[in-house]
Amino acid sequence: MKRTLEAAARLASTAVCLLFLTPAAPAQEALRWGADPSGGAPYVYADPSHPDTYIGYEVEIADALAKAMGRRAVFVPTDWETIVQALQRGAFDVVLDGLEPTEDRARQILFSKPYYVFNLQLTVRKGETRIGSLEDCRHRVVGTLSNTAASRLMEKQGIPFRGYADPVGAYRDLELGRIDAVLMDVPMEMFYARSNPRLKPAGEPFYKGVYVLGLRKGDEKLKAEVDAAVDKIVNDGSLETILRKWSLWNDAQLELRAASNPNGGAAAGESSGVKFEMTSATFNWRGAILRLTQAAGVTVLIAFGSMFIALGLGLLLALGQWKGAAGLRFLCTAYVEFFRGTPVLVQLLFLYFGLPVVGISMPNWLTALVGLGLNYAAYESQVYRAALEAVPRGQWEAAYSLGMTPALAFRRIIFPQAFRVALPPMTNDFVSLFKDTSVAFAISVWELATAYREMANASGEFLLLGAIVSAFYLAMSLPLAHLARRLEARMNRRRAVLAVESEVAA
Amino acid sequence: MIRVENLVKEFGGARILHGVGFDVGERQVLGVIGASGSGKSTILRCLNGLERIDGGSIECDGVRLEAGLTKAEYQRRVRELRRKVGTVFQHLHLFPHLSALGNVAEAPVQVLREPRRDALKKAYELLEAVGLAQAAERYPDSLSGGEQQRVAIARALAMRPRVILFDEPTSALDPRRTNEMRALLRRFAAEGHTLVVVSHSINFITGLADRLLYMEGGEVVEFGDAQQLLNSPREARTRDFTQQAR
Repeated sequence: MKRTLEAAARLASTAVCLLFLTPAAPAQEALRWGADPSGGAPYVYADPSHPDTYIGYEVEIADALAKAMGRRAVFVPTDWETIVQALQRGAFDVVLDGLEPTEDRARQILFSKPYYVFNLQLTVRKGETRIGSLEDCRHRVVGTLSNTAASRLMEKQGIPFRGYADPVGAYRDLELGRIDAVLMDVPMEMFYARSNPRLKPAGEPFYKGVYVLGLRKGDEKLKAEVDAAVDKIVNDGSLETILRKWSLWNDAQLELRAASNPNGGAAAGESSGVKFEMTSATFNWRGAILRLTQAAGVTVLIAFGSMFIALGLGLLLALGQWKGAAGLRFLCTAYVEFFRGTPVLVQLLFLYFGLPVVGISMPNWLTALVGLGLNYAAYESQVYRAALEAVPRGQWEAAYSLGMTPALAFRRIIFPQAFRVALPPMTNDFVSLFKDTSVAFAISVWELATAYREMANASGEFLLLGAIVSAFYLAMSLPLAHLARRLEARMNRRRAVLAVESEVAA
Repeated sequence: MIRVENLVKEFGGARILHGVGFDVGERQVLGVIGASGSGKSTILRCLNGLERIDGGSIECDGVRLEAGLTKAEYQRRVRELRRKVGTVFQHLHLFPHLSALGNVAEAPVQVLREPRRDALKKAYELLEAVGLAQAAERYPDSLSGGEQQRVAIARALAMRPRVILFDEPTSALDPRRTNEMRALLRRFAAEGHTLVVVSHSINFITGLADRLLYMEGGEVVEFGDAQQLLNSPREARTRDFTQQAR
């Protein structure tokens, strides 16, 4: 979510810049290219020494292409997951972000000629002895970027994988032992993993795919321009210069030169003569419903688990704040204010990425369960506190004068009364907790919101899948909301009946 | 049965009771009368340990509370005291989440550890004795004021206290019920209980109390035989009050 917001902010600022710049430089038309710069090295990323400028080999390729086209390259930062949709919405003219041609993308957008031939590399922890190839990962979890050739390859082969939004998170989880291996395109593997002393490559690079530019359907004129520019930089050596500078050059790239040679076999209009493997998302509705059902199960698990924590811890907090010694009361109040005053998303990220620094590392679903539990405990404690304070003092005194100890009086007399008062607001909180489980997508938990985003990005079925996912949420939250209303109604009805009865009796 | 000597109680520096003293014999009924704010309810709250005393002593059936005790020792003795003293509060404080029967049986089961079945049977008999057998399964807020009060009395009796404290037992009753209540309390005394009854109603106290304690401004104005105090008080202030309140 953070990434999306950042991207949106950058998008907005770029748009503003464009508004002012376009009339000033009418001679050169802009080539707006979109890519995801967060965790985007070595493709395109913020220069660590000048964070306001972007660098990367694709920045240089974009400049070279624009120059060949007689245009001016304008970078539009965007989000990888939704890059195809952003292109279709017209946020930029071309995608230039290590995009692989796939069958499902081919239905949505046009591809240029390829400008890079890539391989995949499997990475494991230094001490790993069991994994030598992707085949060894059949019963392990492999991290990769969502919606890439690597993720689709594993999906097709039935290897369990976890999709990440950027390579940094995937390699960090590998170091922490949350996953067993990471499969990435070699450029990313070279930049993020090759120099990490705690990781090592497993086996040789394999698979052959290409990167192309993506264009809107119907933009045939621009595609012809782009293809000509790709041919030019492939053949005049300027692409080789760039790739060598970024240590990405290898002999496989020579195939591009042969393929794009006008005297070669590739007919104009055909994307490429290079032999490469083309992946496709294996999307079918039965599989989709099955995966969504699994995701719903995770959502239910997280919701119930965290509510359980919230109810227990919330009661302790309420008691500490209510009857505790001054120090304890202060600590409880500090806890409540902290968890109510900071976003739950930040708390989850802290638990997931921050705690491993001090040696506490939980799997992501457990982090979400605990994180939401800790967060909601702060809210439930206030519900309890209000309910406990609503029980009159006389109830305590009556219990004491019957010889009850404070603990017994609380357990048998005060708490049952307070719980009745607290039940309707707690049920309401539970309904909103159900929906809040969706923040778990920030730490890649495969729950409903994550499932929706990933499957819709892969298939383009935002509308239908969205309707189905909403139906799942409603199927779970409506019964709860109904229960809450019934509880409230029952209490009100009982009160009304009693009022009438006692009037009759009086 | 009860001996109170030089009892002092302060709230935030303000002195509410200025050295109160009295005694009550076994099976006697002590009436405590006085205007609002005279300190009579505070005496009851000291007698069942809800307020800690700041001076003097209270002795009740062999349990002695003194101002100088450590907190833990005071608490220990208060717990002992509460096994002997039952309280019927002015506002009753019935447990709203329990039925009439549950209200009566709760403490015997939880505090005395009586088997549930026995406790319920006995609770039912107690409700029967105060004329509420038909309301045993009903919840407090469906009972009338008088019915609620009788549940509160049965609840106190269920712990078999030797002393029962009543705070304004007639405040919610009409005149006919007031007479019934007086008869009920006399019966308790006859059955062996010692009663302390706080009331502002001279009518109710007349014919009920054996001894009377008249309070004014946190001090005892007059203490003695009920007949004598009502008919020929030694103090002019006592006469003024009893005549006004009559």
